Formats: sequence, C-alpha cells, structure tokens
Amino acid sequence: MSLQAQLSHRLGPLRLEVELHVARGVVTALLGPNGAGKTTLLRLLAGLLAPDAGRIDLDGRTLEDTAAGVRLPPPLRGVGFVFQDHLLFPHLSALDNVAFGPRARGVPRSDARRHASDWLVRVGLNDHAQARPRELSGGQAQRVALARALAAGPDLLLMDEPLAALDAESRLTVRGVLRDHLARFSGVCLLVTHEPIDAITLADQLVILEDGHIVQQGPVDVVARQPRSPWVARLVGLNLYRGRADGSHVRLDGGATLAAGTRRFGEVFAVVHPRAVALHRHRPEGSPRNVWRGHVDGLEAHGDRVRVHVDAAVAIVAEVTPAAAAELDLAAGGPVWVSVKASEVELFGA
Amino acid sequence: MTGHAPGHRPRRQEGGRRRAGRALTAPTTVLGALGMVGMALLILPLWALVARSPWRDLVDLLGDRTVRAALRLSLVTSLAAVAVSTLLGVPLAWLLARHEFPGRAMLRALSLLPMVLPPVVGGVALLLAFGRRGLLGQPLAQLTGVTLPFSTAGVVVAESFVSMPFLVVTVESGLRIADRRLEDAAATLGAGRWTVLRRVTLPLIGPSLAAGMALCWARALGEFGATLTFAGNLPDRTQTMPLAVYLQLERQPEVAYLLSLLLLAVSVAVLITLRDRFLRAP
Repeated sequence: MSLQAQLSHRLGPLRLEVELHVARGVVTALLGPNGAGKTTLLRLLAGLLAPDAGRIDLDGRTLEDTAAGVRLPPPLRGVGFVFQDHLLFPHLSALDNVAFGPRARGVPRSDARRHASDWLVRVGLNDHAQARPRELSGGQAQRVALARALAAGPDLLLMDEPLAALDAESRLTVRGVLRDHLARFSGVCLLVTHEPIDAITLADQLVILEDGHIVQQGPVDVVARQPRSPWVARLVGLNLYRGRADGSHVRLDGGATLAAGTRRFGEVFAVVHPRAVALHRHRPEGSPRNVWRGHVDGLEAHGDRVRVHVDAAVAIVAEVTPAAAAELDLAAGGPVWVSVKASEVELFGA
Repeated sequence: MTGHAPGHRPRRQEGGRRRAGRALTAPTTVLGALGMVGMALLILPLWALVARSPWRDLVDLLGDRTVRAALRLSLVTSLAAVAVSTLLGVPLAWLLARHEFPGRAMLRALSLLPMVLPPVVGGVALLLAFGRRGLLGQPLAQLTGVTLPFSTAGVVVAESFVSMPFLVVTVESGLRIADRRLEDAAATLGAGRWTVLRRVTLPLIGPSLAAGMALCWARALGEFGATLTFAGNLPDRTQTMPLAVYLQLERQPEVAYLLSLLLLAVSVAVLITLRDRFLRAP
C-alpha cells in the first residue's frame, strides 16, 4: 500500500522529472531549494495541475495515467492538502471549514458538524468552533486547516510548508500537533519544507528535490550523514566534495587531492565535518596529512561557535570556538592554514 | 543647519526655501479656489432641490396618480433590470475573468461600452436591434408576436442595456481579486465544480456582487435617454420616474420636484451602502 508516481512536467523554467515511491505510514519530507518544484509536485499529485506525461497510483488506484488518458479530478482523489497560508474559507466558521469536506461528500449537515467538532477537539480548538478565520491566530488557523484536511479522511496527505508562515512560538505548538497527528495517520504523507528542523522532527524519510529532479532519498539520519549534493551538505552543515578515489587518496573535481582514512575506488563523495577542520596562523607541524593554505572568506555565529568560511584550492567551512577565533586573529581576507586529519575524511560511493 | 560654516550652502538653502514657499502658496490658493467652485457646482443644485421642494405638500403629492404610477413602474422595471443583469451579468463577468479566449479584451470593451455610450444612442441601437423592423425584433415578432418597443418589457431591456455593465465590471474585478487557491482547497476536499461555485466562489464575491447590484439598480432607476428613445413615454406602461420628472416639469412642477427628491434619496442611499467601496479615502 503506497503512493507511486512517475511524472514529467514543464512549468516556465522548471523541468520536473520525478519518480517517487512513498510507503504508507512513513512520513516523508520533501526538501529542496526554492524553485526546485516541490509545490508543483504536490499540485500534480493533488490533481490541481495536469502533468505533461506520467502516472500516479495510490494504493492500487490509478489517479493519473496520461498514456491511457486516465485523469481523476481532485475531488475524487481522496487527497488532503494543507497549504502554507492555511487557505481557510473566510466566509465560514472554523467548524464549517472543517465540516466542508464531509459535507462536500454528501454527509448530512448535522453529522458533518458533529464530525468536525470532534476534529476541532483533537487539534485543541473546540473553544473556537464559531470563530471566523480572521479571528484566529496564524497557528490556530493552521491547526484548523490540518483538521479540515484530515476530517475529509484522505488516503494521501499533502502539506506544503505548513509551518513556514508561522511565528516561532506558534510554530512550536503546531509542530507538536502535527507530530501527534502524523504519527496516527495511516495514509501516505508527504510534507514539503525547507526547514531541516521540521524535516528531522516530523519525518522518517527525506526526499531531496533539486531543479526538478530527486537527487537523494532515504532515512533522515543517512541523508544527514551522507549528503549527496552541495545544497543538502550546506543544509546539514557539512563540507561535501566529489571526486575519484584511488585507495585512500581522492582526486577532487577541482584538481586538489584529499587523503582519507578509509580505502575506496571510483567515484566518491567525501564529507568533512566543520568541527574536524583545524585552523592555524602558521603552517602546522606533525601528523595531519591534509594541509593547505587559504584566505578567510567570512565568519558567522553558529550556536556557541564560530563558522569560518575559508577560500582555498579546497574551499572549506571550519567551526571553532570564539576563543580560538580571537586567538587566531581571524578577519575576512586574512591568510590562514587549514588542516584535516585523514581519519576525519569520510568517503561513500557516488 | 547648526554646525555649518557660513558659506554657499546655507544661502542656497534659504533661497531654495523661499522658492519652495512661493511654489507652495501659489497652487494652494489657485487650486483651492477652483476646487471650491467645483464643489459648489456639484453641491449647489442638489441643495436647491432640497431647499425649494414642496415639503409641506409632500404627503399629498405622494397620493398623486401620476407620481404613484411612475413610482410603481420605476420600482418594477429597475428591479427587473437588476434581476436580468444579475442572471446574465454574473456569468458574463465569470467568462471575462476566468477564461482565456481570443478576442477577450475586445469583448470586454464592447460589453462595457454602454457605460460611456450616450444613452440616446443606446436607444437608437436597441430600436434597430429589437424594433418592429429590427435585426432581431422582426423575426421575434413574426415567430412569437412579441414586440418590445413601447412596452414595459422594452423599458426593462433598455434599463438592462445601460446598467448591466456596471454589475459586470464590479463582479469581474471581484472574481479577479478572489484567491483561486481557495477553490483548489475546496476541490481537494471533495467539492465538485458546482459545489465550489455555490459554496466558495459566490460567497467570496458576495460583497462585489452586492455593490454591483446597487450600482446597477441606481443606474437603471435613473435611466432616461435609452428608455425614452426605445420605449417612449406612455403613462402606466413606459413612463418611469425620470420620464415623469421631465414631463411634469412644465405641467406640475411640484410633482417633478418631489420625484426628483425621491430619486436623490435613492442615490444617497446607494452611495451610503457603497461607502466602504467609494467613500473611503485612499
């Protein structure tokens, strides 16, 4: 039981070319930079957009098959959609917003309202049943929107950046509500976000979409440890390089060489954690096998540490304590020596 | 200014201030005076109408046969025109707002033309279309025996012709402003297209529709030129309030004053209903 989609679609500068498989009960987060096609993909799955070509199957039901001319309209797909800016109907009360789905499917008004009322209780908003959307806070409105999507009993729940429009405090509340309901949701769930924290707290599985293509998918911890694109590496705060390994030496695409602690052959990704990067004022003596010279490109605060961007033959980000940064007298444009122990360079197949 | 050494800059700034001062007073005086004259031109006649109306005979005049007939006919025809305009104008606005088709801009311009067309020209055009020998009027008369000119139905047609565009523009802009993603949301919740239209789209454009209907009604109620040309001036059948005003001005001026006062009251009422739309200063 799952969602299987194979879609290709052109929309302006975007060329979406996606093959997606999502199992039931596994919350999947769709991550990617702006303009990668995340929202477009959701709209294609919901049937709000017709693909140029492709096929979508949900639990054995064919929702879309351009080759066979099958196209189920949105109301018949059994899809729940939670939008970034909640999109509650402004002329209906919170209760009637939630009752809208059941009503549209022919449930009598009083039954639909009772059902909706139950859902408002579940998202903790039974006190606001008669409130109009404009009387609700952003967080409350988004909880009503979640209840509205779930009250219709969808097989596929699509959420487009459901937390992005909220302030920090209500984001925390709504994230908690979301986590409770997603854990209990038995259908297929796809969550679009660009916040790693949302993906990590809410999702079991990550799908990384860049420029219309899926560049990586897998369990959250694997993606976080072994990113396969510079965007993901930046997202999780790792240094990522690509090159060709010949034993424990990797010749990077830029021409430089990295020494690694493990042996591999062929195309590889090399990952270095910023905390494993040491900075020096003078050429370091001793054992590290990766030493090069560069210039400080910029400094930024990162928690209780300082991230130092170093521009060099192998550009790298180092994370040091503020004390170390002061001692090294780091300033933008200044020279600096970089060293990384071979054992800190992790390789995995590309 | 403090801290500046005496020199060129302060002097130039002083000169600049003097120039700016002159530039500020002159337009204020001239434009202000012209503006007051303009305001007087708009308000004085209405004030005169209110001041010189036969307030004492008001109740008696309301019982006048001509007044009552014109009042009744105006109400019936203008409300019928609003009904016709709503029934046909909302779909037309929807077509213009929601569908891409060749010649749409041209079609919009043509359907809004009656707003700026001299009403008498509209009347002539209606005669040529729906008259006894008209393009559509002739086959219509031959097939059904119905003739529109010089009938109450003709008044409704004339009023609809001049007033429907007001409803169409207002509703069309309402449809354009309405967030279409709300319709998407409704569709994902299981609502078919008719349900979306009934439960989401129409409620969303409710305020625009109400404003459009009010404008449409005001225009239909005041219609004169096209009605006179197309439907004539027959008491009880086509003599609406504006026509009665024109006719009675020579026979019984008090009746004309009273009818004018009533029409003025309606206009003020419509303006008050639409205050959120037009009276709120930007």
